[in-house]
Amino acid sequence: MEIKIKNLSKYYYSGGKTIKALDNVSLSIPANRIFTLLGPSGCGKTTLLRCIVGLEAPDTGEIEIGDDVVLSTEKNIFVPTENRGLGMVFQTYAIWPHMNVFNNVAYPLQTRKVPKDIIRSKVEKTLRFVQLEGFEDRPATKLSGGQQQRVALARALVAEPKVILFDEPLSNLDAKLREETRKDLRVFLTELQITAIYVTHDRIEALSLSDIVAVMNKGQIVETGEPRNIYLNANHRFVADFIGRTNLIEATVTSQEESVTTVDCAIGRLACRKRADIKPGDRVTLCLRPEFIRLKRGNASEAQNVFNGQIKSLVFIGEAFEGEITIHESQLFIKTEPHSDIEVGDRANFTVDPDHCLLVTR
Amino acid sequence: MEKTMVKKRSVLTPTLIAIVGFLTVCPIVMLVFGSFSTGLGAFGEFTLDKYILGYTDPELGGIIVNTIIFVLGSSMVATGLALFLAYLNTRTDIPFKFLFRIISIIPMMIPHILFSVSWVLLLNPSNGLINLFLRQIPGFEDLAINIYSLPGMILVEGLLDLPIAYLILAPAMASFDIALEESSKVCGGTTLRTLFRVTLPVLRPAILAAFILSLVRSLASFAVPSVIGMPGRIYVLATHIYQSIATGFAADFGKAAAIGMSVLATSITLIYIYRYLTSEGEKYVTISSRGYRPTVIELKGAKYPLFSVVGILSMILIVLPVLVLFYTSLVPYSMIPSAKAFSMMSWKHWIEVVNDPISLLSLKNSVFLGVVGATLGVMLSVFVAYVIVKIRSHASGILESLSFLSFSFPGIVIGVGFMWFFVRTPLYATIWALLIGYIATYLPYGVRPLASAFVQVHSHLEESSQVCGAGSFTTMRRIVIPLLIPGIVSGWILMATMFVRELTLSVVLSRPGTEVLAVQIFRFAEDGLWGQLSALGIMMIFISTALVLLATLVGMKFKPVEEGE
Repeated sequence: MEIKIKNLSKYYYSGGKTIKALDNVSLSIPANRIFTLLGPSGCGKTTLLRCIVGLEAPDTGEIEIGDDVVLSTEKNIFVPTENRGLGMVFQTYAIWPHMNVFNNVAYPLQTRKVPKDIIRSKVEKTLRFVQLEGFEDRPATKLSGGQQQRVALARALVAEPKVILFDEPLSNLDAKLREETRKDLRVFLTELQITAIYVTHDRIEALSLSDIVAVMNKGQIVETGEPRNIYLNANHRFVADFIGRTNLIEATVTSQEESVTTVDCAIGRLACRKRADIKPGDRVTLCLRPEFIRLKRGNASEAQNVFNGQIKSLVFIGEAFEGEITIHESQLFIKTEPHSDIEVGDRANFTVDPDHCLLVTR
Repeated sequence: MEKTMVKKRSVLTPTLIAIVGFLTVCPIVMLVFGSFSTGLGAFGEFTLDKYILGYTDPELGGIIVNTIIFVLGSSMVATGLALFLAYLNTRTDIPFKFLFRIISIIPMMIPHILFSVSWVLLLNPSNGLINLFLRQIPGFEDLAINIYSLPGMILVEGLLDLPIAYLILAPAMASFDIALEESSKVCGGTTLRTLFRVTLPVLRPAILAAFILSLVRSLASFAVPSVIGMPGRIYVLATHIYQSIATGFAADFGKAAAIGMSVLATSITLIYIYRYLTSEGEKYVTISSRGYRPTVIELKGAKYPLFSVVGILSMILIVLPVLVLFYTSLVPYSMIPSAKAFSMMSWKHWIEVVNDPISLLSLKNSVFLGVVGATLGVMLSVFVAYVIVKIRSHASGILESLSFLSFSFPGIVIGVGFMWFFVRTPLYATIWALLIGYIATYLPYGVRPLASAFVQVHSHLEESSQVCGAGSFTTMRRIVIPLLIPGIVSGWILMATMFVRELTLSVVLSRPGTEVLAVQIFRFAEDGLWGQLSALGIMMIFISTALVLLATLVGMKFKPVEEGE
């Protein structure tokens, strides 16, 4: 089911100051895709999620789920949470400690007055789906973190909602389990053909799980797109920085050429991916990701996008070396393959493909 | 919808502040005004006479010295014993650990006045059972261990304050991060060195908190100073205040208020230090989130000697008082257990009590106060705890401070404060005066368990119920109330047992017609009617126990665990 959000704003008042938790957000979430709201803590992503589910009342705006207007401050509509028919997995899982697994999962059906035999079969089916068969009579408190997480998922899915929402559901799991659950979750959600809205501050989670990522900052949506697109073609400095480890270098546009845009920066002159909306003299930021820097030992002769420097530090992290290279008194993060024979103090040169030099603004 | 909710809340908090504010501030304000007035009938006529009279009393110096020795001594006994027990229970392989739970809970059901009386029966110099027994041994014929002394008072009060100190120390010790001790051992520290250089210093805030709470309790204590101190002519501030309002025609509530001011000020200061310590304490006691079990220290050869100490302590705390009282209620006069004694046993004292109209009235009043008072008190506590935990505003902070204030109330002083108030209202000399006083003084005992119950009900638990399609009524019925039941039950039990055994406040507020059990027992003690006292005392313990069982059963009936479908 598609979700349309128009001009949504939510303010908090604290100590005489107004904080814009949501600042005039408009957004369209396509049906049956996994849509992720990604951003640092306090960016408003959870507030947006809570507005959609109805746990938070926005100050202005409109929300449509499918064809139903569930919120409109203008028309004075506020459909309470319990009538929105959604499913949600909370960060704390919110498994009721006084109920067993069966009752936790059956609850949404019980509130909808579904006949008992249907409840039983649906709960069984859902528990099988999340691989918790036979756990029906287990007290909810006697489950591991991963199992609680799946009970919460089963509870959110059991009533077959058209939309399911996730509020950082993996943040309480340990690293390995988190990775597995992330994969499972993507399989589950793709199989179900359900609209999923997922809130996280973890960029890897967002990139690997989602069909679409919306990056938020300061109560606004900065950029929206497919994960690969967001990573490779970000337009904003904030997004480029938040979505992955990168070198951000202040630069001035020198010329616009046929296939590239040339800039001057602290390490020298670079040919970058063509960006048409800027003109010579503009201040921009160059985004150079470490994995796109092709490093070689020794000095190289001058050529376009080739730079000479000295290795400042190098750390072996298993799948790669990570470190820094010094060029004209400025340092760049580098990453190179684990067989590399380069050592700290060595002279080295690197090349970057103009297509991998991204120019971002603000 | 959202707007109406906000509206309801904004009415709730000020209403509660008004109620709790009345309960806690009224007695203090009245005490202050009373201390500057010439008499109960001349309220508001400003005078300093009462302060001059109270504080120039030549006896006061000695009384203050006694009070300091008594309060410090009993707190040291209580904290020391509690530390010993908590360490044994949480950190060693001592057997029968369930005993520790019993030690920490059961004494709450044995009223302090009965505990004190049982020690008088055992160790009074003329015919205490232990003294009588020891005198049979050749060479000890003139022996008279005298409980009517400062050491006697300190011992008994220390034992009475032991459970509360234990309840503070045991959880702190249990949540102690073992890595701190392990690193001391890695550095070469022995077990004993680790204990004194690492464990105890890290636990210092908890130990201080337990000690300070014991100070407050023994400063407020009336049972021990009155039953054990007064016959030995050893007066502390509590009994000194009592004297100025109880000596027949010359009752002077102004002087009592003037002296009470210092006691209350001391008590409030101590409680705020306690509060500071318990909030600062989190810095020290490091609870790691990983599920670890502290390593258990093997006691080896010391295991059973140490256990016998614990066994004797639990005997002294629980079995002995009940046994002594029951025995005394059956024998005609004080005598050591023998064939002769058993042949003379009868229900005489019990029959006398059952036929004594004042004893019966006090039974009725105490049961009423226990049941009705605890129910009203818990209802108020539910709302107060809700506002404190769930509505985190400036106003709820005020409410928290107000409700915490009564934690420091010394019953007898607050009784004097309330007296100045009730005398001016139709509530004077009614059971409702006692009820209001009880709730005011013991409110924290209801608020605390409920606050921790509310903390458990994370807002996500309610919200996820809403997302699952449940309206606010269903959410209340199936999620919130079931999760609160344990808090409600333990709050009710605490309040009901406190109310049934209440002495210090009642001794001031109780008037003919509103006698309560503890006051009646106090009168019996003053008159030396030990047999009747014991019979009534056993009934009192029985009532407390019955209320606890009843509440537990009700709690189990509504036990929140839902089975099957």
